[in-house]
Parts: sequence; C-alpha cells; structure tokens
Amino acid sequence: MSAAGQIARITASLTLTCAIGAAVLGGVYVGTERYARAAALAGEQRAIRQLLGLGDGAEVREVHQWLDPARRIVLYDARTLGGGDAPPRRVAFDLSGAPVEAGAPGDARDRGLVPLGRLFVARQGGRPAGFVAEGEVRGYKNRIRFLVALSPAFDLAGVRVVEHEEDPGLGAEIATPWFQGQYVGRPAAGLATLDVTRDPMPEDWRSALAGLQRMPVGAWAAAHAPLLERERTRPIYAVTGATISSRALTDGVRATVDHFRRRWALLEPHLGGDS
Amino acid sequence: MSAAPDSVPAAPPGAGRLILNGLFAENPVFRLALSLCPAVAVTTTVVNGLALGIAVLAVQVLSSVTVALTRQWIHPRVRIPAYTIIIAVWVSAIDMTLAAFAPAVYAQVGLYVKLIVAFAIIISRLEMFASKYPLIPSFWDGVGMGLGFLFALLVIGAFRELLGNGSLGGVPLAPGKPLLFFALPAGGFFSIAILMAIFNAIERRVTGGASRPASGGGHA
Repeated sequence: MSAAGQIARITASLTLTCAIGAAVLGGVYVGTERYARAAALAGEQRAIRQLLGLGDGAEVREVHQWLDPARRIVLYDARTLGGGDAPPRRVAFDLSGAPVEAGAPGDARDRGLVPLGRLFVARQGGRPAGFVAEGEVRGYKNRIRFLVALSPAFDLAGVRVVEHEEDPGLGAEIATPWFQGQYVGRPAAGLATLDVTRDPMPEDWRSALAGLQRMPVGAWAAAHAPLLERERTRPIYAVTGATISSRALTDGVRATVDHFRRRWALLEPHLGGDS
Repeated sequence: MSAAPDSVPAAPPGAGRLILNGLFAENPVFRLALSLCPAVAVTTTVVNGLALGIAVLAVQVLSSVTVALTRQWIHPRVRIPAYTIIIAVWVSAIDMTLAAFAPAVYAQVGLYVKLIVAFAIIISRLEMFASKYPLIPSFWDGVGMGLGFLFALLVIGAFRELLGNGSLGGVPLAPGKPLLFFALPAGGFFSIAILMAIFNAIERRVTGGASRPASGGGHA
C-alpha cells in the first residue's frame, strides 16, 4: 500500500475511534447529567440545613451575586430552593450602593456577568433563621472553598470546608468536624480579633469536639454549653503543628463574614422580608 | 461483570492462573512497580485505597475487554493513542456515573478517578495482553491485574493509616501518638518499599523463587 494510503487509513482509524468515544461519552453525559446536578444540589442543601440546624419547615433562598462590568452594577438574583411559592427576584445596585433597575433574572442585557459567589438566606415560621455565605481563601497549596453559617444575629453558627488540597494529616485536618466545630457559636463581636494559637487543645474540649460527628449541632451545643461558653472567647487551636491552614481558614471566615454583613445591609430592605 | 466461562481455551493461561498472576507473580505495584505515583498519593487511608482500587479494577476490565474485542480494527501504528482514548472514555464514563449515583463516594475519590487515565498499569496490560489474546483471557487478565492493584492499595493504605493515624478504616486502634510521617508523601515511598520487600520475601519463600509471570513479564 502507498504511503498516502497508509496515512489515510491511520487517520480514518483514529478519527473513527475518537468519534465513537465522543458518542459514548455524550450518551453517558446526557444520561447522568440530571442526576449528577440533583445529587450535588441535594448535598449542598443538606450541608446548609445541618449548619443552621434547620427543621423541615424551613425555607432557603439562594442568592446569586453577579458583577456586570459593562453596566458597572452588582446584581443579586434570589430564588427559593426546592421550588417555593415566591417568584425569582432581582435587585441591583450601582458601585456606590444605590439601587438601580436591572430587569428580571434572565434579562437580555445579562451578558458577560462575572459570578461573585452565592449566599443563602433561611427563614423558618416567617422569621429569619440564619444565613450561609460561600467563601474562598488561599490555603497552603491551593484555594480552600468553604461555607460560613451565621445566626440571624450574625454570630458564627458553623463552618464547613467544601474543597481543599491541604496536606493529609496536617492542613487537611481543617476539614474535620473537630476542627470546624471550634467555630460554632463564636459571637459576631469577637470575630474581628479571632486568633489562631499553637497551644495544645484542652483534653475536655477535644473530646467534646469529637462528639460533634455523632449528633446535630444544636443538640451538641446544648450538651456542652459550659465548655462552649469557656472556649468562645479563646483562640482557635491550630491543627497539629501547622498554623498555615488554620490561619488561612480563620482569616477567610472573617473576611467572608465582613463581606457578607456589608452586602446584607444593602440587601435586607429588599430581600429580608419577602418569603 | 459477565459470568465466569465454563471452559477456558487451552492456549492462553486459564482464569485462575491469570488472577493469581495479577495478584502475586505480576502484582502491578509490588512486582511490576507500575503506577507507584498514584499508589503513594491516595493510600493515606484504607478507605481511599479501596475506593481507587475498585475504580482501577473497573477501568482495567472494561478497557481490556474493549481492546480484546476491537483489536483487529485498531491500526497497529496508532494503537497507543487508540488505547488511550478507550481508557479515557471508560474513566470519564465511570467518573460521571459516580458523580450522579454515588455522590458521597465521589466526594472522596473524585479527584483521583480522573487520574486513572494516566495509570501506566492499564495501558501496559492493553499493550502486553489484551491486544494479543481473545476476549475471555483478556477479561480474566484485567480482573487479575485490577485485583492485584486493589490488593496492593489496600495493604499500603492499611499500613499507612495504622502507623500514620493510629486507626484502621477510620476506627481508632493504636494507642499513643501516631507516626505522622507515614501519612505524608515521603512516608508513602518508604511504606511501599518496606511492603514490597516483605511481599517479595514471602513470595520467594512460597514459590522457592520459581514464580514466572504468565504473560512473559516486561516492565512497560
């Protein structure tokens, strides 16, 4: 066979292999995509409900934040998770914080929007039940993504690391319930000065935190009220021998809460009451 | 997985021999020393090792079967790219299926599953075995190699979790302070070296140093 014929056969063979592979993958994607998205959403909603200790009757609104560089405005699209009665809403502000008109979600002008993360607003029995804000910070190797839960009075209700690449056995401990449990119940006022210490964690506090895995946050906090009262004003105990990851997460939590509170001051008159 | 065949063709090695070959004589990690990099990366705990081992077993069997079935159509000059595409297709399919139907498992091993595409053990079995033998022996070779890898990851994971974290499968066992070193990457290399030496010593004693790989060996 001629060289040209060889090349043609090889090209055809590889092209066909790729085409079949692409077809198979496309089929699998179409078949599983719906379930994958539902599973990811369900996991996220479960985390939010656990962090805030929400009951079945609670309603959670998800607020997507976007920056529109062309119009120089910040948009907030709110919708009820799990399909509630309230219609999706949009509010928008210019860069000085004054409300502006920006149409409804899905507006034709929504092109080139830059996502700025999401926040979640929970209501139970017509009353505010807390907030969850997405946060991100640079860790030892790569970014750490986390959720911060706040009570209606902006006290820390909990922290959940969602994604990280810290070292196993060292920095990765920040994703464990015992480490994240240290943030539960920290008052809003103490957050600005919240520090990380290398001191060893007291044994009673360590064994109390180890129990966090086995019960809901609310019941756990009630069972260990005196300990929590004592530890609330103390610094965060760093994961063994390493303060980089612990400090990164603590700084990230602080920045996320600050940022959230400034945004919520703007948003509350618009999104605080409707449910 | 398909049912076990009643009779295996005489020319290629039988199912039992192929499985034992993958587990011991040609164990991918301890004997062939292939895919050591992921073996170090994921084996900080037993559960991680188990999860990745199962994923590798699935990809190895599916890829071996695919290559054995399509080998007369794969042009020999471009067989490596073709194998890579076959592996990538199966890995992506498993990745998407896990994300959809087992999100809890996916959260644990999702990052590593994608890496299976580049595992030397899988492509080397396609090149050395599945491309030369028919469907049934290729299937059993895939099962054997996958089980061998799974077995190795389990042993290394157990060793490192026990020494590095003082627990096994998440259950605290060993009293006292664990040797964190073994959970870190450097400790992973030492763990594999120690276990490989033990494995080889036992194997030599059992077989009297006479074990011969079923597929002729070769370190790809």
